[in-house]
Amino acid sequence: MTFPVLPPLELGLVAAVLIGFGFGFVLERAGFGRANKLAAQFYGHDMTVFKVMFSAIVTAMLGVVLASALGLADFRALADHATSGTYLVPMIAGGFLLGAGFIVSGYCPGTSFVAMASGKLDGLMTVLGVIVGQVLWAELEWRPGFARFHGAGDLGNFYLWELFRLPARSGPYVVALAVTVMAVGCFVGAEKLERVLAGRSDPSAMPTPAGRPGRFVFAGLAAAAALGLVGLATPTGARESGRVATGLAPLALARRVFDEPWKLRIVDLRSLEACSAKRIPGAECVPQDRLGSLGLADASPGRDLVLVSDTALDGVPAAAASYRGRVLALEGGWAAWEAFALTPPAPPTAGAPAAELEAYRLRAGIHAAMTGMKAAPPPPVPAAAPGAPRKAGGGGCSG
Amino acid sequence: MQRNPDKFWNPYLAGVALGLVLLTSFLVMGSGLGASGASLRAGIAALDLFAPGHVASTPPLARAAASPHVTWLVFEIFGALLGGVVAAYTSGRLRGEVLKGPRIGNGARLALALLGGVLMGAAAKMTRGCTSGQALSGGALLSVGAWAFMFSVFGGGYALAWFVRREWR
Repeated sequence: MTFPVLPPLELGLVAAVLIGFGFGFVLERAGFGRANKLAAQFYGHDMTVFKVMFSAIVTAMLGVVLASALGLADFRALADHATSGTYLVPMIAGGFLLGAGFIVSGYCPGTSFVAMASGKLDGLMTVLGVIVGQVLWAELEWRPGFARFHGAGDLGNFYLWELFRLPARSGPYVVALAVTVMAVGCFVGAEKLERVLAGRSDPSAMPTPAGRPGRFVFAGLAAAAALGLVGLATPTGARESGRVATGLAPLALARRVFDEPWKLRIVDLRSLEACSAKRIPGAECVPQDRLGSLGLADASPGRDLVLVSDTALDGVPAAAASYRGRVLALEGGWAAWEAFALTPPAPPTAGAPAAELEAYRLRAGIHAAMTGMKAAPPPPVPAAAPGAPRKAGGGGCSG
Repeated sequence: MQRNPDKFWNPYLAGVALGLVLLTSFLVMGSGLGASGASLRAGIAALDLFAPGHVASTPPLARAAASPHVTWLVFEIFGALLGGVVAAYTSGRLRGEVLKGPRIGNGARLALALLGGVLMGAAAKMTRGCTSGQALSGGALLSVGAWAFMFSVFGGGYALAWFVRREWR
């Protein structure tokens, strides 16, 4: 897997400005800095918003699909990294609310920045409004009554090919082809609708027909989608290894074990003997060959699955790859955990810098907590001798 | 280059260009485009001026204030502003004005722009991303939540369009 590159922080911020420049430039040139043109989408006579948005979605989707077919990226791993989890209830309710705000303000949050940059005062007002709205909901979302709504319908990282119960390997390719076919069909329909409503269009938001370049784009997108499916048929090394688990460092795991154990499902793949002797608090002992019995494909994806093996894990076992939520692998496996959490850290030398002292305190704390959890003493053996004579007429209600 | 404020790119070519920008973001940064995160960070900066300490005691604000991804979004939106200025200047669309339909005054239009912005800001926080971060980026990666969100946005817009028609037509 070559992509994503994930540059270091400073370089990433340079990339951010360059990528943002392209983002803003294209939005402005598409006409997205003008409220009339954006709002016209909702009156049917100028479908530019729909055309631009869906051709962008299809282009980026096919790009990732082709990169995955060539073994340069992993669709699922990239999607897990880039998308938020699915929270169905607030996403549908918020979607309607955002659509309402869109037609009232004439912009979406991204295009309002571009409108502001091109001097539109209504764009500036929308930018200010979005800032106020963001802070307002951030103030509310975690408070008792709102938190339940904000987290309702949590499906974890959930994708269309899983919704349609397609196999994890070919699913993204099949859905990508279907989305492309659907999009091109809708483009043709949008062109027709614009022609029907052409007489009523207003001069500030004229429809832009597909023309020759548009038809060229349709053909290109269809060809790329077909190419993705062909690429799937030719096996390459990178795809054979299947899903790649995100690494989780021992420190990050320790923190999560303390802070939010309810969001983790730790599965220890070592032998039963090793696991029952010592394990990470809360871990389930499931030797690798018995992983299938957990039924992970149908398990609720709300918690992150953490796999612990003897040493570093190469490739996710098939039974765990079918899990719909995030799959994490403990970096370095049990050996790294033992060295990190179960071995007392070397005390810092005199005059050590503050950062080193802090790191020592943290590790010593983790070590104490992880090793200080003693096994419960064996339950006391009942002392009463069997067959002791029963007291006659014990009293009470037994009569 | 000749400047014609009424001339826009072919929508499909613009879409492909936007898709290539998004694809670059996916392949380089491992994440998509976004906008509302930068607005939240701007709000946090304003809150810090007026009520220091408040951000740290509000978990969603504290999380956003510490998130490197949100910092990335701020730089990305800075770039988008630059790109917007350059594109608007070179196309002759860079000028101070209020965009609206013929039947509404400037004051009412600006008030509605602010109101719509507040609605969208709250909605985008609820949905973990706006039309850029959720619909565009999540949609391209086939997330179920992103697609449900996208259909809801179009549904909400069409449902209300008739009631606000005086603003646009």
